[in-house]
Amino acid sequence: MQKILSILTLLLLAATAQAQRFPKPDFESGYQYPQLQYAVPNETLWVTVDLILLVALMSIVAYSVIKRKTRKPVFWVSVISVAYFGFFRNGCVCSIGAIQNVALALVDNSYTIPLVVFLFFILPIIFTLLFGRVFCAGVCPLGALQEIVNVKSYRISRSVAAVLGIIPWVYLIFAVLYAATRSSFIICRFDPFIGIFRLGGDIGMIIFGVLLLIAAVFTGRPFCRFICPYGALLSLFSRVSIWKIKMTLACINCELCHNACPVDAIKPAYENKVKESRLQGVKRILLYLIVLPVMCVIGALIMRTMSDALSTAHRDVRLYEQVLQNEKAPQNVLSVDLEAFYGQGGTVAEITERVEKIQSDFKTYSTIAGTLMGLVIGLTLIGLSVKRTRKTYEIDDARCVNCAKCFNYCPQNRKV
Amino acid sequence: MNENKNNPITRKKFLRICGSVVAGAAVASMAGVMVRKALSGQASYFWQIDPNKCTYCGRCETDCVLPVSAVKCVHANKVCGYCDLCGGYYRANVKDLNTAAENLRCPTGAIVRKYVEDPYFEYTIEEDLCTGCAKCAKGCNSFGNGSLYMQVKQDLCKNCNECKIAKVCPSGAIQRVPMEKAYLLKDG
Repeated sequence: MQKILSILTLLLLAATAQAQRFPKPDFESGYQYPQLQYAVPNETLWVTVDLILLVALMSIVAYSVIKRKTRKPVFWVSVISVAYFGFFRNGCVCSIGAIQNVALALVDNSYTIPLVVFLFFILPIIFTLLFGRVFCAGVCPLGALQEIVNVKSYRISRSVAAVLGIIPWVYLIFAVLYAATRSSFIICRFDPFIGIFRLGGDIGMIIFGVLLLIAAVFTGRPFCRFICPYGALLSLFSRVSIWKIKMTLACINCELCHNACPVDAIKPAYENKVKESRLQGVKRILLYLIVLPVMCVIGALIMRTMSDALSTAHRDVRLYEQVLQNEKAPQNVLSVDLEAFYGQGGTVAEITERVEKIQSDFKTYSTIAGTLMGLVIGLTLIGLSVKRTRKTYEIDDARCVNCAKCFNYCPQNRKV
Repeated sequence: MNENKNNPITRKKFLRICGSVVAGAAVASMAGVMVRKALSGQASYFWQIDPNKCTYCGRCETDCVLPVSAVKCVHANKVCGYCDLCGGYYRANVKDLNTAAENLRCPTGAIVRKYVEDPYFEYTIEEDLCTGCAKCAKGCNSFGNGSLYMQVKQDLCKNCNECKIAKVCPSGAIQRVPMEKAYLLKDG
């Protein structure tokens, strides 16, 4: 009887404390447990260095570009940035990716954003508001890398550049959509240069990065102009920045700066010869005011109908599809995901509820995203159709990345 | 007044100042809200595997952005039973308990076995050889005490903004942990 009882207790013990199937050994030889230490990098130190360097480099660029009007320090800032932020720190934390953390923190109260990530997001924006896109100039390792390899700046036609210029906005909108729904951080996943900085990684993205760098030899910063979502965000702030690069008052209309600009931000003088009556002008503005909301509504409708398809980017939605398939026709060998799902006691009712919540989130957010996309496309088209008279060369503040190349070519530089 | 009317710069300037004020206010309020949020809770910084959730699926080995995964097997000696027939060290149904490669669970021979006293053996992980395939951890958890388990080595991990393994982890075992608790160890 006692034997059966002891076996029963043993079985019970085995069932409750599955981790202790075998008892702790009693060593007689005086064996001591080895002390194992697992290395933790001194991340607090490196994060502090990151932040100090970020502010210092942006200040150097701002001083040399706005005050001294010279490019030399900007080039060295680029080299330091590629070496430190790129190759040494392997590209993380990065301001471009921080967009997603901020978006997630805004909608999800359970997520606490690390302070350093937020500072990497907001400090370049503050500097942009004060001095223009000094972060882009050379502090961002992605821009700096393209700047260093750049040899010649062949110009891309205005309309092609305008259409390609929509991509960063769409990318930004999708990145925020996927981050806010906790699906995926697409900016980090499709970073073309991270593989180069880490000397290894996803081979597809490395090839894309190398192609971009080859393109960057012949035209200025293709990634910054036509892909970078953070650049799109900064261009909003650089439009209204307080101190910025200005065209010299002694301009002699020589077009040398226009030819030197890698991002095509210096627009030549232009005389609009189309005479338009006041009535025509009013009609045109009315047309814009009608077309813009219509595009927003169309965008919202398209994205809303696509929201279920978009939601498959979320892990739980994909798992849900697998679960449903398995419930319909039970498989003999469960996939790893299903095994983990059933192993953790997941039920169809519980995951259905979770997925419905995700899909309703997707419906709301993708409607907003669609509206914004319609707005961006509409504004780009309007921008293409509007022609303004310019008396002298003018700087497009949204595009200018403060690389200061124009100063090297200006014969009147520092004369006024 | 008249001069202003003919001067388009003034209107442009006015709009720009309005824009600056709006943008400045947006940045300031955003910064205020987010800094308060960032300071209110404890931000989690490193990626780590919760050993209680891990199912030893083996994706840590294949899905890390690094050529050799930053996930390694670690051994909790205080949980280990020091068995001769170790489920993590030997494959199932081995004939002889010797160190011949065909008997061993670890494909790279990263588990070192040392005789302590009869009948106990000490097991240690050779970290440089470990690929994070979790085969030993699976064996140890199925047949033994579960003293072999997987952890992200923080000195190897690149701390990506989004862990590529976490995206495919079937049990959601990979999560962010605070800097002070960089490892989730079974023997504390």
